[in-house]
Amino acid sequence: MINLLLAPQAVPLKLVDIVGGERVRRRLFTLGFHAGDIIERSAQGILRGPVLIKNIESGVTVAIGRSVAQKIMVEAVHG
Amino acid sequence: MDKSDAPVLIFIGQPNCGKSTLFNAVAGHKAQTSNFPGTTVKHTHSLVSIEGRLLNIIDLPGTYSLHPSDPAEKVALTHLFHERPDIIINVVDASLLGRSLELTLELVEMDIPMVVALNMADLAKKKGITIDAGKIAASLGVPVIPTVAAHGRGIKELFEAAFRCLDEPCRGKRPRWSTDVENVLEKWTARLPADFPCIAGRRFTAVQMIESGHLFCSEFLEEIDPDLHKSLDEIRAEIAEKRGLPAYEVIAAERHHLAQKIFENGARVARKRKRSWNERLDDVLMHPWLGHPILLIVLLVFFFLIFKVGAPLETLLIKPFSSLKALLGEWLGGGLLFHLADGLLQGVGGGVAIVLPYFIPLLFFMALLEDVGYLARAGFLLDTFMHRIGLHGKSVSPFILGFGCNVPAIVSTRILESRRDRILTSLLIPFIPCSARTTIILALVAVFLGPYWALGFYILNILLVAVLGRVLSLFFKTESPGLILEIPSLKIPSLKNIAFKIYFQLKSFVQFAWPLLIAGSVVLGLIQSLHGDAIINGVLSPLVVNALGLPRELGVTLIFGFLRKELSLLMMLQALGVGYRDLLTVVTRDQIVVFTVFVNFFIPCLSTFAVLWKEVGKKIAFLSALLSVSVAILIGVLVRLVL
Repeated sequence: MINLLLAPQAVPLKLVDIVGGERVRRRLFTLGFHAGDIIERSAQGILRGPVLIKNIESGVTVAIGRSVAQKIMVEAVHG
Repeated sequence: MDKSDAPVLIFIGQPNCGKSTLFNAVAGHKAQTSNFPGTTVKHTHSLVSIEGRLLNIIDLPGTYSLHPSDPAEKVALTHLFHERPDIIINVVDASLLGRSLELTLELVEMDIPMVVALNMADLAKKKGITIDAGKIAASLGVPVIPTVAAHGRGIKELFEAAFRCLDEPCRGKRPRWSTDVENVLEKWTARLPADFPCIAGRRFTAVQMIESGHLFCSEFLEEIDPDLHKSLDEIRAEIAEKRGLPAYEVIAAERHHLAQKIFENGARVARKRKRSWNERLDDVLMHPWLGHPILLIVLLVFFFLIFKVGAPLETLLIKPFSSLKALLGEWLGGGLLFHLADGLLQGVGGGVAIVLPYFIPLLFFMALLEDVGYLARAGFLLDTFMHRIGLHGKSVSPFILGFGCNVPAIVSTRILESRRDRILTSLLIPFIPCSARTTIILALVAVFLGPYWALGFYILNILLVAVLGRVLSLFFKTESPGLILEIPSLKIPSLKNIAFKIYFQLKSFVQFAWPLLIAGSVVLGLIQSLHGDAIINGVLSPLVVNALGLPRELGVTLIFGFLRKELSLLMMLQALGVGYRDLLTVVTRDQIVVFTVFVNFFIPCLSTFAVLWKEVGKKIAFLSALLSVSVAILIGVLVRLVL
């Protein structure tokens, strides 16, 4: 399990947990990102910029700051 | 039937679900629409007659859930509870049905008659999602009507269903959660006193209390029954202990699973093999290296197009007014009547010939950027730079809207979660050149010094905003919450929507700004004929003449610029007593630059000041005015020294 910042781009990843506070967790839930969802890092802003994450199943795309990305724990999808 | 008797119908949905487009299709284009989450930051009322029945329709800001996380979402919740609607129309983005149903399930629990508008059904189809509205309706227990609001499809059927629901209230099926959660919930619902003030159904109140803890009815709880407060903590702890997760998260997960179940039961998703055109376009638009040059090119193209369209139009329109002014001079001489007529002519002519040629193309391009969905992408691209000034990418949209008008831009800061970010963004927005100031920059700097000077002016302006942001952020030590911004799908803009947007902004200009321009010009004419301008100019001459090196006559124009920024430009010509094309006979090019710099930064206009007061408070409004005046004097003097 690694945080999203360390995960490779354009590869399906399983969202394992959001280790942030209540505000971040609630916000990501309501936007449609839950533990168990398959997501991908679809783009990365320049100069340590924000990260673009996409929920592969729903297609919801969200730009998140690096501090938020660090709180999203993911693991590789096997098979 | 009057307004008070008409049933209240509320449109509610998640951001960017096409709610305002649907509202406009019914109420006649009263709500602002765009392809950016959180455009509707205010609620909009409209009394309409549909099929001979009067309805009081309300469009609320989009909200992801009934647990607000920013001021715009709070507006939605407050009005939902306050208006006590007779019926809710829950607008749902069919292409994001699974997620949207989570809000629907919250609304169902309110126990208010409801109809679901399954909007953007065409977009869902393109994404390979086939929805059986009947099955979704059966799961929810309320009518579900497919609509495509942008093309007016399904609206008749939606209202037919709404009327049926009003006549015979259709309440949704109460969501049934896992047994352990249901048991605790039932226990808590029974624990609430009989006279407990339920906002909606008892169960809804109970769920909200468990989910929100002390945030929901907290003051009331403290006051009436401290034991109830303690019991709530115990119930929340019980759920948390059973599931190993905080209570709010257990409820959110239950709702999520139920929404997914309803979605899977009522929809089929065909997996796409090829990436769609907008996904491929997004790869380029948000590419880490290509995205920024594209953003720069888009802004430059818009800038030059606005100038290239505006300048010839202005030349064409100004001629008849110049001829009329010459004739007035011959007919009326130089007395009071001439000054009043000249003021009237300057006000009317300035509005038509100088303001509109730049204003209309600017409105067009702003509407285009909004409707395509480019603002959110700009937010992603500029996030890194925004961090340098103590903000993040979510503030980009209010800043870009500020180029159109600072007033809605300041209102739109409601999409920002933290007050710190709202204040900082609101203090910086008045430094963004709005359409009125763009008119001045183009009509003075671009016309008399060349378009590249105007472009340089903009670049310096943006640099100034960056420096100010950096300095101001030193005084706001609280850390900004991290960026979380939904990027909506790119959409082909609807020309009809853009035309309506331009029409409504023009209408607002003609109704509110133009009378000010005309009245201001006539008042200046009157002051001139009574030689009152000499007194004002005398008082202001240390600033105008000594510090800024401008003609003494321009002092009076700065005062009036507080009403509308364009007024300073029109009054400049009037005060100097020259026609627009002869301006260089009385002032130098350097003086034009200094005047434009000063007017651009000097004190926010009256409307901006008022909205600052309303949105972020009196202190911040006065701080903004003080900041603007100081910056205008400082930069004005610096520019004078450099040139």
